[in-house]
Amino acid sequence: MATVTYDKASRIYPGSERPAVNELNLEIGDVEFLVLVGPSGCGKSTSLRMLAGLEDVDRGRILINEKDVTHLPPKSRDIAMVFQNYALYPHMTVYENMAFALKLRKTPKSEIDRAVKEAAALLQLEEYLSRKPKALSGGQRQRVAMGRAIVRQPQVFLMDEPLSNLDAKLRVQTRSQIASLQAKLGVTTVYVTHDQVEAMTMGHRVAVMLDGVLQQVDTPRALYDTPGNVFVAGFMGSPAMNIKTVPLNETGAHFGALNIPLTREQVAAAREGGDGKVTVGFRPEAADVVGESADALPIVVDLVEDLGSDANVYGHADLPGGSERFVVRTERRNMPHMGETVYIRPQTTALHVFNAGSGIRI
Amino acid sequence: MRHGKYPFIIGFLAVPVALYAIFVVGAYLQMFRLSLTDWSGYGTFKDIGFDNFVKLWNDEVIWTALRHNGFLLLVMPIVTIAIALLFAFLLNVGGGSKGGMTRGVWGSKIYRVVFFFPQLLALALVAVIFQRVYGPDKSGMINGLLPDSWEPWLFLADEKWALTCILIVLIWQAVGFYVVLFSAGMGSIGQEIYEAAALDGASRITLFFKITLPLLWGNIQVAWIYLGIAAFDAFALVNIMTVNQGGPNNSTQVLSMQIYLNAFKYSQAGYASAIGVVLFFLALSFAWLTLRVTRSDSVEA
Repeated sequence: MATVTYDKASRIYPGSERPAVNELNLEIGDVEFLVLVGPSGCGKSTSLRMLAGLEDVDRGRILINEKDVTHLPPKSRDIAMVFQNYALYPHMTVYENMAFALKLRKTPKSEIDRAVKEAAALLQLEEYLSRKPKALSGGQRQRVAMGRAIVRQPQVFLMDEPLSNLDAKLRVQTRSQIASLQAKLGVTTVYVTHDQVEAMTMGHRVAVMLDGVLQQVDTPRALYDTPGNVFVAGFMGSPAMNIKTVPLNETGAHFGALNIPLTREQVAAAREGGDGKVTVGFRPEAADVVGESADALPIVVDLVEDLGSDANVYGHADLPGGSERFVVRTERRNMPHMGETVYIRPQTTALHVFNAGSGIRI
Repeated sequence: MRHGKYPFIIGFLAVPVALYAIFVVGAYLQMFRLSLTDWSGYGTFKDIGFDNFVKLWNDEVIWTALRHNGFLLLVMPIVTIAIALLFAFLLNVGGGSKGGMTRGVWGSKIYRVVFFFPQLLALALVAVIFQRVYGPDKSGMINGLLPDSWEPWLFLADEKWALTCILIVLIWQAVGFYVVLFSAGMGSIGQEIYEAAALDGASRITLFFKITLPLLWGNIQVAWIYLGIAAFDAFALVNIMTVNQGGPNNSTQVLSMQIYLNAFKYSQAGYASAIGVVLFFLALSFAWLTLRVTRSDSVEA
């Protein structure tokens, strides 16, 4: 039962002008699974380590359960962390690794034994308890690292890219295991990843960061459907959203010959600081491939990715500003060939419109 | 590759092996041979079987020297390793982990260099310097610092303490190297392991005993063997520093000193060789024992 609050928390590394984490404000609810996501160097790991107490907080505060922990050492925060490289103690067996924290707390032996056995059962590690980490596979090591966190029954779990050292198949498997484990244990969890698929599938809410600044925090659904700015729109979703900055007129956005209609309010908002332009985005699945038509965008196909269930079509269109690349998702039976010209028409209901100057959603 | 093969082997393997065979293996073989003779160091000699070893067994001075070597062997490695570990820990992890990086105590970069200085001095120089430090009258550095009303300490002239004085210099001289060795070992322990331990609630002391020490076990084992062999030697310091080479009254006598004295002062090269043979087997069994005893405890890290 714990909440976590970042209150304008900043981290400025010595000798650096720009904060690695800049005035982060974030409220994480009890039992919530929050994912911090962003490209490398965006400050997501630093934010997590600030919460762990492994990184100084230069300005602002961090609270766990309404209690100010900003200047407490890591061991006084009652948190457990799963590291990217697992950080298992190489000289201890799996059992000793999991029991270490409890031993240091002078927990009775019988209770340690019960807690370790329980966690081992939960993670299917029972038969490996007497092994050293060196004799385990990557997936097993990862589970030991999870087990080490679980036995402590901490207030908050912190996970720093715990899946990035696993192969793709195991990653997908472990992803769902961690999510269901978290639901079963009901422990507030902060999870850091650079993989937006992990973020979308695991988090109750997702916080997107860029250059040390929190961009948006919302449910995966809301992030996908209504990204708050151009960066979030481009970061979430794969293949990425088609985002183009094009000339603006009274009624809409000009994609060459194709005019994408916008409402009067949208046009007015786009005018401010937009320099006569507007940024329009549509997801690959939110465009229809149509027959030759004046109100569709002609695209020369460069590449077709057959995904089995459907296909991604990559192509380019010659717009007045130069050649622009687009990607649309089609059904397999409509799959075009390379070099062919197809006509696409974005669904007007699923358009994302941003101010061209500020990048903020309109 | 075929063409370059033989010059390569001759250059990098044959020459060192030849040098080693002549000057190390050859010398040892000669020593074994001479230990069975009555050679004085000059002229001819005749075989006398194991007479030298019988004489050795009954030689009081040899037993005294052996006891002193034993004392050095027991104390020197333990104390040196303990001090070096403490310093290395303070230099690398002792400053805590504020700001995300575990680091050494304040000024650790300077200490690291200073600790290594003794290693740069020739052993003979160290001996001469400490002779002045231990001067038994007011001209000695330590006695000079003591209040005038005190009786000057005798140090090397005191039968009871002379060997301890040598021991202290041996340790002082060796610590710097092992600080560097252990520092390197600690550097290879991942940062994340220290962080995980900090989150698990380990204090600095638990960190040292439960994490650092077990993970450094391989380094400590090596250090133990090196230091043990150094304790069997101690020749340079004893030869230069002590009164009458091993005195007063044999209170700093060691086996290596006995070899030197017998070979070059008493003209008993055969007898000296016999002591050398004993020393050879002692050092060999020490290294073997150390490896055997510590192996079971070592970590496959």
